[in-house]
Amino acid sequence: MEKILTITPSRCTACRTCELACSFKHATNGRPGIPRIRSFMYGEGKNQIITCFQCDEAACVKVCPVEALTRNESTGAIEVNEDRCIGCGLCSIACPFGHMSHDLASSIAVKCDLCQGEPACAAFCPTRTLEYK
Amino acid sequence: MTDEKTINLQINGRFFQAREGMTILDVARREGIPIPTLCYHEALESVGACRLCLVEITHADWGGWKGLVASCLYEVEDGLQVTTDNEEITSVRRTMADLLLARCPDSPVIQRLAAEYGVSATSFKKNDIETKCILCGLCVRVCAVKGCNAIGSAGRGIEKMICEPFEQPPPDCIGCASCAHICPTGAIEYEDTGDVRKIWGHSFKMAMCPSCGRPVMPEKQLEFEANKADLDPDYLRTCPACSQHKTVESIRTAFDMKDVLAGNTVWDTGLKPVLHR
Repeated sequence: MEKILTITPSRCTACRTCELACSFKHATNGRPGIPRIRSFMYGEGKNQIITCFQCDEAACVKVCPVEALTRNESTGAIEVNEDRCIGCGLCSIACPFGHMSHDLASSIAVKCDLCQGEPACAAFCPTRTLEYK
Repeated sequence: MTDEKTINLQINGRFFQAREGMTILDVARREGIPIPTLCYHEALESVGACRLCLVEITHADWGGWKGLVASCLYEVEDGLQVTTDNEEITSVRRTMADLLLARCPDSPVIQRLAAEYGVSATSFKKNDIETKCILCGLCVRVCAVKGCNAIGSAGRGIEKMICEPFEQPPPDCIGCASCAHICPTGAIEYEDTGDVRKIWGHSFKMAMCPSCGRPVMPEKQLEFEANKADLDPDYLRTCPACSQHKTVESIRTAFDMKDVLAGNTVWDTGLKPVLHR
């Protein structure tokens, strides 16, 4: 069975290591990438982490006019084909959870791709808030 | 997948395999061999307008015949020998850059491209009309892919231009500004002022995010996209930041309740449970 990225908010200290790990994992040309995961601080035991849910019937996939978003069958993640993306920004507006963002320079869509089956956020999380199992 | 043929070809002396129907550019991009392009986009149909992706091809059976072809259009065939860079190709690309610079002398993108080939000033007659458009047609193709077909090209030769039908505000335009985003030289301009987007002679009323009141996209586009993808228009009306905020809030609420009901907290929050069962 395919693994899923689980989040246990009660363990989160909002240290933002996940954001850093994500940013470094998705660095291009020596430039850190936009983190695909976000943490929100509300106080101990109430912190939140959100990242893409990899929906079965995803609104982002539905609205993409050029089929730039496709599901990687081995990891179950929806991935952006950066060469196909025309930067129209529709996917980030369509996502009902607000999980997608855009590269500010090129307006190419960015989203969590589960790091091709080895999520850096889970590997670096010091409190096991994020687990890939 | 049964009758898919594997094709063997050579690029710059190295052997590669490709699937039938792939173009030379597809194979080169896959293998990381650089070929310059301006009018190519993977998601759109290739037209071979910019001629920068020209490569030299030959074949063992062709008796020494060589030719220059646009790699974005030429489909691979067995035994093809491709050269992506030599003096002749560079000189043709230099001429292309020179011609583009004659058409758009003020475009920074074209100036940079020309400088790469050592052209600082065009050797041709400069264009009288001030334009940044290189007639690559990316905007027209992206408009077709979006399903609008609002703009096209008109005229021929030096009078050719990208424009609206009869140079009137196009009735099919939804104001998505995809044409402006994809334009390699930034020739298409649009203006967002508060709740109005001005593009192609239209003034579109923007749909506002119900939570924060910021503009999201034109009302006409919202209607179009919701119909096309068969989605609830409210999905599209909420801006990404507000969607994210809503998600965080809803998870937080659900989590608090579950935590309180289960009677355990991993971290001592210092807060008294609100609910007692």
